[in-house]
Amino acid sequence: MTYSSIESPEPQSDSSHQAPVGFVEEDLKKSHWILLILEFILFGIGIWNLMSATGVQNKSLGLYKTQLMWFSIGLLVTVFSSFIHYSLFSRWAYFLYFSNLILLGLVLLVGKASLGAKRWLSLGPLGNMQPSEFMKISMVICLAKYFESDPNLQGYRLKDLLLPGFLCALPAFLIKLQPDTGTALILLLTCASMILFMKVQKRTLLLLTFSVFIALPFIYQFALEPYQKQRIISFANPQADSKRSGYNAIQSMIAIGSGQIFGKGYGQGTQSQLRFLPEHHTDFIFSVFSEEHGFVGCLLLITLYSLFMVQGLSIAYQSNDKFGVLLAFGIMMIFFWHIFFNMGMVMGLLPIVGVPLPFLSYGGSALLTSCLGVAILTNIARKKSMF
Amino acid sequence: MAFLGQEEQIRELQNQFKYVYTLLFLGFSLLICRLVYLQIFKGDQMRHFSEENRIKRVKIPAPRGMIFDRNRNLLVDNRSDFDLEIIPQYLKESKQEKKVISLLSEMIQVPENIIQKEYLKHKNQPSFIPIKIKTNLSWKEVAQIELKKIDMPGVEVRQEIRRTHLFGEISAHLLGYIGEVNSSELPLLNKIEKKYRLGDQIGRFGLEQKMEDILRGEDGEEIKEVDALGREKLEKNRNDILKRSFGKEAIPGKNLILTLDQDLQQVAVKAFGEKIGSVVAIQPQTGEVLVMVSRPSFNPTTFSRGISAQIWNQLIKNENHPLRDKTIQDHYAPGSVFKVVTAIAGLEEKVIDEHTTFHCPGKLKIGNRVFHCHVKHGHGDIQLIRAIAQSCDVYFYRLAQKLKSVDDIAKWAQILGLGKKTGFPLAGEVPGLIPSEAWKKNRYHQDWTAGETASVAIGQSFLLLTTLQLANLYSTLSNGGSLFRPFVVKRIETAEGDLIQEFKPEKMGKVDCQPKTLDLVKQGLFQVLNAPFGTAYRYRIPGLEMAGKTGTVQVVRLSEERLFQSCHLLKPEDRHNAVFVTFAPVEEPKIVIAVIAKNACRSSEAAAIAQPIMIEYFKKNDPSTHSKINTKSVSSGNLLRVDLKEEEAQNENYQPAPPSPDIPLYPPFQSEPTGENP
Repeated sequence: MTYSSIESPEPQSDSSHQAPVGFVEEDLKKSHWILLILEFILFGIGIWNLMSATGVQNKSLGLYKTQLMWFSIGLLVTVFSSFIHYSLFSRWAYFLYFSNLILLGLVLLVGKASLGAKRWLSLGPLGNMQPSEFMKISMVICLAKYFESDPNLQGYRLKDLLLPGFLCALPAFLIKLQPDTGTALILLLTCASMILFMKVQKRTLLLLTFSVFIALPFIYQFALEPYQKQRIISFANPQADSKRSGYNAIQSMIAIGSGQIFGKGYGQGTQSQLRFLPEHHTDFIFSVFSEEHGFVGCLLLITLYSLFMVQGLSIAYQSNDKFGVLLAFGIMMIFFWHIFFNMGMVMGLLPIVGVPLPFLSYGGSALLTSCLGVAILTNIARKKSMF
Repeated sequence: MAFLGQEEQIRELQNQFKYVYTLLFLGFSLLICRLVYLQIFKGDQMRHFSEENRIKRVKIPAPRGMIFDRNRNLLVDNRSDFDLEIIPQYLKESKQEKKVISLLSEMIQVPENIIQKEYLKHKNQPSFIPIKIKTNLSWKEVAQIELKKIDMPGVEVRQEIRRTHLFGEISAHLLGYIGEVNSSELPLLNKIEKKYRLGDQIGRFGLEQKMEDILRGEDGEEIKEVDALGREKLEKNRNDILKRSFGKEAIPGKNLILTLDQDLQQVAVKAFGEKIGSVVAIQPQTGEVLVMVSRPSFNPTTFSRGISAQIWNQLIKNENHPLRDKTIQDHYAPGSVFKVVTAIAGLEEKVIDEHTTFHCPGKLKIGNRVFHCHVKHGHGDIQLIRAIAQSCDVYFYRLAQKLKSVDDIAKWAQILGLGKKTGFPLAGEVPGLIPSEAWKKNRYHQDWTAGETASVAIGQSFLLLTTLQLANLYSTLSNGGSLFRPFVVKRIETAEGDLIQEFKPEKMGKVDCQPKTLDLVKQGLFQVLNAPFGTAYRYRIPGLEMAGKTGTVQVVRLSEERLFQSCHLLKPEDRHNAVFVTFAPVEEPKIVIAVIAKNACRSSEAAAIAQPIMIEYFKKNDPSTHSKINTKSVSSGNLLRVDLKEEEAQNENYQPAPPSPDIPLYPPFQSEPTGENP
């Protein structure tokens, strides 16, 4: 392994070698292996579950194979990324950000439409790719870079946040135009988490919270499509419109609830097997899992996700490089909001917006992004341990 | 500098992690709480919902009970046919609309664009409501579609049961019709027990309505496992298990066996021809209704699967009211047939006896008004029996004058069961009207006049009777004073033919009067048909001992000159109603027939309806009596008018000598009163 060609961002490497922040090399080594193992376990569950979810549909019988292929690509990315130093991202941060932004623009211009939304760019024989997925990582890299190079020990004031705020809003707006509200929302939540993670002055915090509350009704009134308003209404009262927009939410809750404690058994979930669940292999994959494996299965899955989160965050915590901390934290926040939002929405806690569940939902770009995220995390963990 | 600063910054960031872990903890805790709620607290309910989801309950409609006549001829049956329906919701979801429609079009031989048009026509209704594409599918089509069903999501073959009246409009009013339950009725229908669903069939008229609880069966249920597109899963074994463990067989409704004789009904309808009115025939010894016809009629089968607005409007707008049951839902002034009641009142109130003689000059002035007899020049001196036989109006005017008031007539009318519902088991029976002084005071705030009493005495004025009441009245007179509740349902049986309930004749009472009173009246009624001077002498059936009474009832008040002019010159709606009541054999009557023919002018028109029924009855039930009937005259067509030549010949034979003995008397009367007065 050689990365001498890449200049380390910290010339005073001995001071960091003393490990002033108090990380233990062994811990980090363990952390990234545990993270990789958890990734494999979660992905294994995902494939296993996908085989059940798509088992009845002849045309999608091979879906899990496609998913396996994407995962192999993801693993290649992981292996490949171990040959580079993550500080490369720091250098290329803005390049990545703006090129991804251009891709987003291209999607709007020449993108491939499906189900009334333009989200994909055709890559010819390689299939389609979803730039909005990769935008999440580019965004995190970009913000990490921004905050790394703009230290503010007194805490950020509102005007300090204008530029990063704009950097977030631009891609979110482009994604929203596709329209892909779910991804835009995850992007904003991730950015907000990162900004709040930085030291923000109390006054600014209060002001921000206040203005968000003020803005909510206007967003509802002007920024949302009628179908989205309908979804929010049906979220508040799913029974009111059980055949249309509330249908998905109700069927999903029925699927989850009917799993009871031990579930109906693998391949026995009637909600998904009989196709009462819409999108059961993508956004509603968790409903399939809970129907078949019950509360016990769900608890296990959530525990795995929690462990994954804790491991990832501990990598962020133990990184002795501000860019590393921010990058790892941002990536883990992408994971967290995906997990929380997806589960929340299929359980009827949150309105239905298209948010996939990492490692479980079918979808190449999302899986690749997740793999890439884990790859970057292991990279951060391993590079640190080498010092 | 900067790098020392970075360490500081990292520390600061590390401080933030406590918030991050808190967020993590709160987020996952919230999810777990929700899972506990959904899977543990609501688990049972959600499991139930998911079972409901994959299990489609298909209603198996229970066939309604069948209706038979007294000879077990099937009158009302359930014939099933198959309809093709598309459920747009499933078809749309499959995204194969084009393919399915072209496939269908091939199978049912309907051009694609017509299916497409029908499909688009219902675009605005909720998509789970089926659209009917074709009705009355052939067996071959049904088989083809069922075979290809898996490739055609949203396509359904629906078995529909059509309530079929095998005799069309014959007996329509009595049997009634059914209709679909609508949403506004549901709450009331299901008040006690959830029995009906939207679109279920329910009896709307006649026996279908009255016997709803008996005729209606219990719907069964078939359980099928389906996917979200409504397609059945083809795992046959599993479906069979489901069916066995959760399905429910339909329990057919119970069958009715009526007292009605469909052959007589047909004869009656044929005899009615184009005429308007009603006929009721009763067995006087039991109260069993043999014939009940109301004309014009309608075909109840058209109601059974939703009647078209066009046909409905035609029925509603028809001024002859084909939907009204004219046997019980309409009442009329009875006219001369009511004179028997006046006679009984006179005899029982002791204001007359059989020898009381009144003079009939053809008219009588009461108060300021002149009351006419139907014979312009009068009947001369006349006594009761002959007054009935000749239907002398003046005799009854005079009799009315002798009575204390109209209440005497009302009293006896009520004793004879008039002025109230007979208790016949059909909805909408009207009670008729027997006026009294108190009634008029109450109704019009006017005093009763003597003239009105005279009118009532001959069956006019405010008097109203239904055809059924009329038949029942003569049934009471003919059977010696027993009042039976007329009934039409004889037996209720299960679909397998086991008896559930049998209805016995129900005697409501016996008229409390001297036997002689009824005998005198009966004697008069006998002479109506059997004395050459009797008003219905020409309508008798030679060989059959019939009695009866005719009546022609003015529908509008007529001036003197118009009174005697030919009725046919009047506007159709002003023409007299023809009434005829007859029973036979006179001694021990087996059948009473009451006919009201609206605006038919002459009682002969009514008699012409009664005659063939009478003959058919004896032909079927009493061949020995039937054999005595002069078959030559029977075959003579519509109205069996005894040949004029023959009549004259009989008149010649008849010796117009002393008043009483030469009057043909039927045996029991002959032995007693004539014995007293030789």
